[in-house]
Amino acid sequence: MTLSILIWLPLAIALIISQVPRPWVGRAAAIGSLVTLGVAISFLARFKLGHAGLQFVTDRVWISALGIHYKLGLDGLNIALIMLTTILFSAALIWASFREWDRPRVFYFHFGLAESSVLGAFCAQDLALFIAFFDLMLIPFYFLIGMWGSGERVRATTKLVVYTLVGSFFMLAAAIATGVLASDQHNTSLNFALSALAHLPLSRTSQEWIFLCFAVAFLVKMPLVPFHGWLADGYKSMPIPAVAVFSGVIAKVAAYGFLRVVLPLFPYASVHFQTLMLLIALVSILYGTSMAFTTPDARLVVAYSSVAQLAFITLGIFSLRPQGGQGALLQMVNHGLVTAPLFFIVAALAARCGGSEALRDMGGIAFRAPVLASLFMIVALATLAMPGSANFIGEFFILLGVFRAKLAIAIIAFIGVVGAAYYALRVFISAMHNRVGPTVGSREIGFLDLSGLVPLVGVVLVLAFYPQFILKRTQPSLQAAIAPAQALSGGGANPTGPFTASRTSP
Amino acid sequence: VSVTTSAWLVLLFPLLGTIVISAGYALLPGRLAGWIGTTAIGLAFVFSVITLITILGKSPDHRQFTSSLWDYAFSAGVDAKLQILVDPLSVFMILVVSGVSTMIHLYSVTYMTADRGFNRYFAYLNYFVLSMLLLVLAGNFVILIIGWAFVGAASYILISFWYRRTTATRAGIKAFVINVVGDVGLVLGTFFLFKHTGTVDFLKTFAEVDHVFAHNATDLVVACLLLLVGAFAKSAQVPLHTWLPDAMEGPTPVSALIHAATMVTAGVYLIARMHSLFEQAPTAADVGAIGGCLTMLLAATIALVQVDIKRVIAYSTMSQIGYMIMAVCVGAYAAGLFHLMTHAFFKALLFMAAGSIIGAMAGVQSLDRMGGFRKALPFTFACFLIGGLALSGLPPFSGWLSKDDILAFLDHRGGGFLILGIAGYFGAFLTGLYTFRMIFRAFLGDPVPEARELEEGHLHHADVPRNPMTGEEEDSDVGFPGPGHYIAEREWPMKVAMSVLAVGAVAAGVLEIPGVDRGVEKFLDPTFADSALSRRVPSTKADWIGLVIGALIAVGAVAVAYLVWVRRTQLAPALQKRFAAVYTFLWNKWYFDELIDVLVVRPSLWFGRVANSVLEPIVVSGAITNGTVSVVRAGSAAVRRLQTGFLRYYAAAIVVGMSGVALYFLISST
Repeated sequence: MTLSILIWLPLAIALIISQVPRPWVGRAAAIGSLVTLGVAISFLARFKLGHAGLQFVTDRVWISALGIHYKLGLDGLNIALIMLTTILFSAALIWASFREWDRPRVFYFHFGLAESSVLGAFCAQDLALFIAFFDLMLIPFYFLIGMWGSGERVRATTKLVVYTLVGSFFMLAAAIATGVLASDQHNTSLNFALSALAHLPLSRTSQEWIFLCFAVAFLVKMPLVPFHGWLADGYKSMPIPAVAVFSGVIAKVAAYGFLRVVLPLFPYASVHFQTLMLLIALVSILYGTSMAFTTPDARLVVAYSSVAQLAFITLGIFSLRPQGGQGALLQMVNHGLVTAPLFFIVAALAARCGGSEALRDMGGIAFRAPVLASLFMIVALATLAMPGSANFIGEFFILLGVFRAKLAIAIIAFIGVVGAAYYALRVFISAMHNRVGPTVGSREIGFLDLSGLVPLVGVVLVLAFYPQFILKRTQPSLQAAIAPAQALSGGGANPTGPFTASRTSP
Repeated sequence: VSVTTSAWLVLLFPLLGTIVISAGYALLPGRLAGWIGTTAIGLAFVFSVITLITILGKSPDHRQFTSSLWDYAFSAGVDAKLQILVDPLSVFMILVVSGVSTMIHLYSVTYMTADRGFNRYFAYLNYFVLSMLLLVLAGNFVILIIGWAFVGAASYILISFWYRRTTATRAGIKAFVINVVGDVGLVLGTFFLFKHTGTVDFLKTFAEVDHVFAHNATDLVVACLLLLVGAFAKSAQVPLHTWLPDAMEGPTPVSALIHAATMVTAGVYLIARMHSLFEQAPTAADVGAIGGCLTMLLAATIALVQVDIKRVIAYSTMSQIGYMIMAVCVGAYAAGLFHLMTHAFFKALLFMAAGSIIGAMAGVQSLDRMGGFRKALPFTFACFLIGGLALSGLPPFSGWLSKDDILAFLDHRGGGFLILGIAGYFGAFLTGLYTFRMIFRAFLGDPVPEARELEEGHLHHADVPRNPMTGEEEDSDVGFPGPGHYIAEREWPMKVAMSVLAVGAVAAGVLEIPGVDRGVEKFLDPTFADSALSRRVPSTKADWIGLVIGALIAVGAVAVAYLVWVRRTQLAPALQKRFAAVYTFLWNKWYFDELIDVLVVRPSLWFGRVANSVLEPIVVSGAITNGTVSVVRAGSAAVRRLQTGFLRYYAAAIVVGMSGVALYFLISST
């Protein structure tokens, strides 16, 4: 079984179910997503540990004149993210399938298209193919906001389109330049395969501007400050299952892009702009955290906490240390696994207080809903990266990496750790505890909501006991991806020291 | 069973208890959840004893065992396994923790009966004990931090157990956030150590310390100071102490648990566990000792003027923990841990007795409203008196031997430590004063109506319970204080729990009598074998001189208290008026809450509000977003059409094109 099947299966299923009778479309889409999850698990089961290189490689020439390959592969960088994607899409579609949607066939088709393109972006091993999937994956979300969104959906769509198109424009230019300049500077034929490009390092000046172009595209997508202008409206308008996968997965593609494309191809520029990137991440942590402190809307608390969390991930990546990269990769999975449940919970809360997502309309919901309260508690504690959750291990590794790279930045970043404790508990307490709000009707969470929520919380708990499951699968590839930049940044100066030695468990 | 197997079982039973009670929260009838919880912790105690017996069977040089279940985070140089370390220190701690916690569970079975959250309560309580046991058994920094944070989370959910009270939720979040500050200290401290040792394992770290760090090396001092941040946050030492008095919002047995067996002792344990680091970084150790001393005095002075009976005991805890922190920072490990144990007994006892009075008062906690309960609550009075005598350090009670053990060591080290020792004796005087102020005001004097009713055999019930802090009507939907409330005189589980602890408070001192036996010290010796400081123990004669001085001070304090609050009752109000400024200062707890509010809380919330109301709409939405939009708009007409009407066609073209290509490759690649 090749990776092509995994990638195109969701789209194929989406096309098939568009022929299914209307009442059954949701059910069929949910089952289809579980089939995709099964396929992903089969890849996980066959994934060999201890290898840095690609596995399950598919490599065909796509456009020979341009040197573009249809090349797919799995390694430690994307195996965990593939799992995250299929899990989150399953949860979101199961959640969605119990609800009524306008034009359900088109609705579920967009989800299928989104899942296919995200999986494609994660698996792509050719720069042009990566860009194609990266842009493709936004299209279904334009429609999901524009057609099924709520509130200020027109404004939200416009903002999202403008931001992402500008980002995509930069990235497209950068990608073309990468291929063309690499072939120019080394006198080889045009080739966009990442493995080939990695052996054709660009000159320093080219690296610098290309790096900045990629950075803009990725930072918009995450988003980090000051590229987050679309965030509030976008997250607020998206239907819940769409925002769950958007925040859970799409944002990770951007972080993944740094690890897959930027660090290996532009190591010099990564070192050159390391401080800049760390500072952007640091500002985003502080800014996202203080926004989450005070925003009056439950969904926006989750949105701004995502800014802070993705900033932590960026911080880890640009520590240019193996610890930081490991933490970032683990945290991508962790954050996806907590942010999606949080959006489902926000939906459940809104259903209990007259549809409002404002915190002041909530309060005292825990009374008749102990199961909902417990699930919310677990997810909130994982969000604030309480030790004992895998999120803590992610943050621990990230901060350890930054600590080794730039001590002062690590120390300031710890403010974000304390702040997370406050905003996570704030949203929990104002929703579940204190006096009962005037429009609150507390009732236990039903099977419909549990179906999407419980599996995700289950995965969170399993990873809490055994984060090593992800760490040991990702370590070799991660170290290989970071190595060029790390060597340049001086982090590899002492190969026998504890910070560079790759200790593997016996 | 081997030492480590039984230690794992100590962890397993509270874990099972937590899982069983939470899974069956809706099904478990009556008091069953309470009994399950008590049994779980009781079994943990049984296995702690088994661990003790097996470890005593080994030769003193071979009493250190590690065991790991699986790799927890073993990557990129970090070597964290799910690992425990069993040595005399951790065995000592699990004995105290599980032993006292069992009694607190037993007491709670009755005390919380009428609460609607009964099952929830016991799930939390089991989790709390599990966290503390994990903390003291941890074999590396990562697991230690996990136990550390679990304790913080458990205290949060128990402090805000009555979650409809806004005071309780506010106290809970405060405790949690301050504890996260402590966690951060611990994590950063770990980073500083890891930078040099390359390991998070305890034993490897301790073995490396002397090689990789020079005496008082900067990074080591910084690391130790950061560990102290963790210790101070958890042990409620100045300036990270403000959560502790507010934590009294939780049910009274929870206060007993936090103050006696778990949580606040964690800082003391941490410093004792890290003694090889602190001895190599004496600067940090001295800072810790001074911090402990300050807290000891500050809390004792505040306790003198507070009127909430639980808060007085809470400040007393802070003060007593100050003694322990001083002890373990100067090298008196055995003395500090011995005091930790005796304190666990008499402080749990005091809280339980206070809970009994509060039960009789139908939830009222103010000393101003109490009085004359001596006849109405004879058993409670006896227990409170025993606890108070032990706390004040009167011979022959356990607190006398343990506290003076610490002070004798301080005096023996001489120099600046002598000042700490003298401050300790002054603190002891204050301790006697505030303890007996509390006892005399609650139990002597004219009986209040509640006490009279009780003497006639009726238990007073409040018509409408009100929150003493805000005057809000209590929301008894979540059970505060519940339709029924209980006093020790009428309920055997409370009585049994208190009796056991009373015996401990009286007699635990026999374990460590200078010149007779040195049980605790001898048992703990293998853990501290590498410590130079712990060898510098005072002579038996010096110990006994210290004990005599301590006894005299305690007797003097009780006598003064008797004079002020029983014989000449007009004296206290007169003093209060005469020294109004001092009184206000102490009443407001040295203004620490206000200080933190001004320095930390307000600025961060202010920034958040500015970000939300100014930066976001004007800068981000206005300048950046609209700027980008207009730049794009001002671009070519094609671009404009692209992002308005033609977007769908553009999108559709991409979809169709990509799908076609994909289909082609799908077919050709399989």
